[in-house]
Amino acid sequence: MKKITLTLKINDEKYEIITYPNRTLLEILRDDLLLTGTKESCGEGACGACTVLLDGLPVRSCLLLVTEAKDCEITTIEGLAKGEKLDPVQESFIEHHAIQCGFCSPGMILTARSLLNHNPAPTEEEIRFAISGNVCRCTGYAKIVEAIQALSNRGRE
Amino acid sequence: MGDFSLIGKSMKRIDTPLKATGQAQFSSDLMLPRMLIGKVLRSPYAHAKILEIDISKAEKLPGVKAVITAKDTCADKWGVFRYTQDQQFLPTDKVRYVGEEVAAVAAVDEDTAIQALKLIKVEYEELPAVFDMKSALESGAPLIHQDHPGNINIHVNIDVGDVAKGFGESYYVREDTFTAPEDSYFQGEPYAVVAQYDHTGSLEIWMPNAGPHLKAKPLSNVLKIPLNKVRVRKIAIGGAFGGRSEISPADVICAFLARKSQRPVKLVYTREENSIATRQAHSMIATIKTGVNKEGRVISRDITCHMDGGAYSSTGPIAVSVPFLCMEQAYQMDNIRYNGYRVFTNKPIRGMFRTHGRAFACGVDLQLDMIGQELGINPLEMRLRNARKVGEFTPTKSYVASCGMTETILKAGEKASWNEKWGKLPPYHGIGIGCNSVQTGFPMGIRGGSQAFIKFNEEGGITVITGIVDNGQGNDNMIVQIAAEELGLGVCDVQLVNADTEVTPSDPGSYSMCETFIGGNAVRLAAQDAKNKLLKIASEALKASPDELTVKDRKIYIEKSPDKSISLSKVIRIALSRSESISGEGSYWPKVDSKREWVENPSGQLSETFSFGTVITEVKVDPETGKVDVLEVTAAQDVGYALNPKVIEGQFEGGIAMGGQGGMLSEYILWYNGRVLNPDQLDYMVPLAIDMPRINNIIVETIDPNGPYGAKEAGMSIAMSAAQAYCGAICNAIGVDIKEFPLTPDKILNAIEKKQKVKGDEGSE
Repeated sequence: MKKITLTLKINDEKYEIITYPNRTLLEILRDDLLLTGTKESCGEGACGACTVLLDGLPVRSCLLLVTEAKDCEITTIEGLAKGEKLDPVQESFIEHHAIQCGFCSPGMILTARSLLNHNPAPTEEEIRFAISGNVCRCTGYAKIVEAIQALSNRGRE
Repeated sequence: MGDFSLIGKSMKRIDTPLKATGQAQFSSDLMLPRMLIGKVLRSPYAHAKILEIDISKAEKLPGVKAVITAKDTCADKWGVFRYTQDQQFLPTDKVRYVGEEVAAVAAVDEDTAIQALKLIKVEYEELPAVFDMKSALESGAPLIHQDHPGNINIHVNIDVGDVAKGFGESYYVREDTFTAPEDSYFQGEPYAVVAQYDHTGSLEIWMPNAGPHLKAKPLSNVLKIPLNKVRVRKIAIGGAFGGRSEISPADVICAFLARKSQRPVKLVYTREENSIATRQAHSMIATIKTGVNKEGRVISRDITCHMDGGAYSSTGPIAVSVPFLCMEQAYQMDNIRYNGYRVFTNKPIRGMFRTHGRAFACGVDLQLDMIGQELGINPLEMRLRNARKVGEFTPTKSYVASCGMTETILKAGEKASWNEKWGKLPPYHGIGIGCNSVQTGFPMGIRGGSQAFIKFNEEGGITVITGIVDNGQGNDNMIVQIAAEELGLGVCDVQLVNADTEVTPSDPGSYSMCETFIGGNAVRLAAQDAKNKLLKIASEALKASPDELTVKDRKIYIEKSPDKSISLSKVIRIALSRSESISGEGSYWPKVDSKREWVENPSGQLSETFSFGTVITEVKVDPETGKVDVLEVTAAQDVGYALNPKVIEGQFEGGIAMGGQGGMLSEYILWYNGRVLNPDQLDYMVPLAIDMPRINNIIVETIDPNGPYGAKEAGMSIAMSAAQAYCGAICNAIGVDIKEFPLTPDKILNAIEKKQKVKGDEGSE
């Protein structure tokens, strides 16, 4: 297999990558770019730990060949905060005790960010549905749902 | 309770900002210079002699830096107890389950390591195998360990009072058998180990662990190096639930690969390996016979429980005992006999799990419901009549120093509107209740106690040094919260050094639910020790006796004249200039009976204190599909004192998801000839956000006489009680008692159909 060269746009920075085309985006992020905030748990697209945003939409980076991410805006958990200022979703997760062991948190937070970007006033049911591709084994989801609800325009009404 | 700045408050956890931003490092995130990737070769047979292992071709593959087999190890057998030493980390003679470790490689990358595994040739002679307890116990069954006739691994016998007489005096007696298959931990973080030898020749190792000191000692034994040459280092840990408690072959294999290759090695298990080659929860067959008087009070109980242990002992003696002990703590039982058997089979190894024994615990509780139905007493009332009370002794002679069992039942009942709902719900709606109790630490030999140190910096900040580990439940925060509170500091003034065996003192580890009680007490004592030294110096400066002084907001005040104060930093500088020690030391050893032993002597104080919990669950069952909708769950637990209420609520909610929603509705391991058919996340069904019901949390505080600020275990009683409440509610909804768990739609539909058939038959007569 021949290596290919491609450019990835990750967290507003450009990266020139030379790699085999059969590698996943997750492998490139974690092993080549040391962006280890993106986690691998199930490795088969079922748990959501490896979620990143591709043009603002949550995708499972363990199922995505790196070539499929070409020309897309990729956001990983490392790119969510602006400098020292955390994203409101991150703040809300901390505030509402929505993080326990924290292994699912990067993927969960990115999924929540995308949900709120596309639906600023989700109902509880919409929140639960949106994060049902992200498995959390510690929290029972209650505080995660609360953290997202607190940011919903509906929640503030 | 007193006027606290931090204790009792739902303060934000100190570890969560790093976790929210992806900066927290877990073992598999580590990357060391020159690091190799490790992979393990596993047995394809459930039971086979190892005749020969040829690694010559694998060793010659370019990029391969080390290949190890049992020949590279000392081949000692290891076990948690002296009498359970039966597992070699790489076996020499035979393999005993599909997936057992046989050899391992370290190579420059994963692809090379996988290729090298294929070049290792192992010659096996397949042996007959046993895949279930019935076959394992038959006469003439293949022996899995030659020194264990009949494949009985552990037998725990407890016999208190006069059980036969008790049954004779009972008004009503019934016997039922309950069963459940294995279930899986499914921690978010797959098992990962990174090992390297540092410039002094000491092993540095990172792995998910529930007790760094519990990992360091066996590593020292197996590697034949002194304990001070093994450094288990702190790292973020993605969940434990009982499954990170003991040494794993992965730890040992990774250390041997690093030693042989003289390079750092990372070994990350696949999800499949996590399901078969780390621990699972035991499958179980529990026969429970109970006799009661007319009022429903239990007079006599006889329990025989068989647990499938898989191929090796693991934490077997504890695993066999704990399901029983939780129930004897929760309910009064005067005449009680327990025979627990752990049976060897040619299946992966079983260990401790957050929900100890679905079949056992649900059996005891569901049977109380059945008995109550015969006597016309509702399930909540049955529990009130049998609930443990403060000041009592358990059958195995543990004194109960604090107990809010009754309060949890009453408060949960009130919140869940039990009296308004019981017997009055629409068809296929049901409500159920479960109660349980969990011990806060148990005798663990030399590592039963915890120590902590506190050192001061010149500007008034402190460093707390303790062996306490955080698996995700919030222990790091608990330590900082206690130290800051005692010394009148802010959270940002406290630096934490913990869970690193080289620099932190001994600690029992974060299992058996003991860290708040034991480790928390040690930290509090260390802070008080330091405070006493500070007050002595401050008393000279303020011309007041130490008794008159108090510490708050980084200052030491005269309590009655708050304007007279001295800053902590000044006191520390005075101490430094005088070369006076102002460090703090604390040590806590729980008051347990050290002579108590799981098999030989299951009697005496097991744990200094116990938590008590009640869960009530309301469900709706679809009779067409067997699908269960959980409408609401109410959880109440006596936690002694809530140090950080929101953290405790999170533990309750997580416990309901794991013990109730997953444990009772969807989680089980499927088998075919010793192979796990659902080792992955697609086929092993853990609960999702959309599955979870509304949860009401009730924290009951009894202020334990010896807990730090009165605190004790929080959350685990809920995980266990949840299983029982779910099972009671579903059986109530369909009007049939199902005794095989989990309660999957097929079992529910079968039960409904059977009931309808019986009704139909009765109608046609």
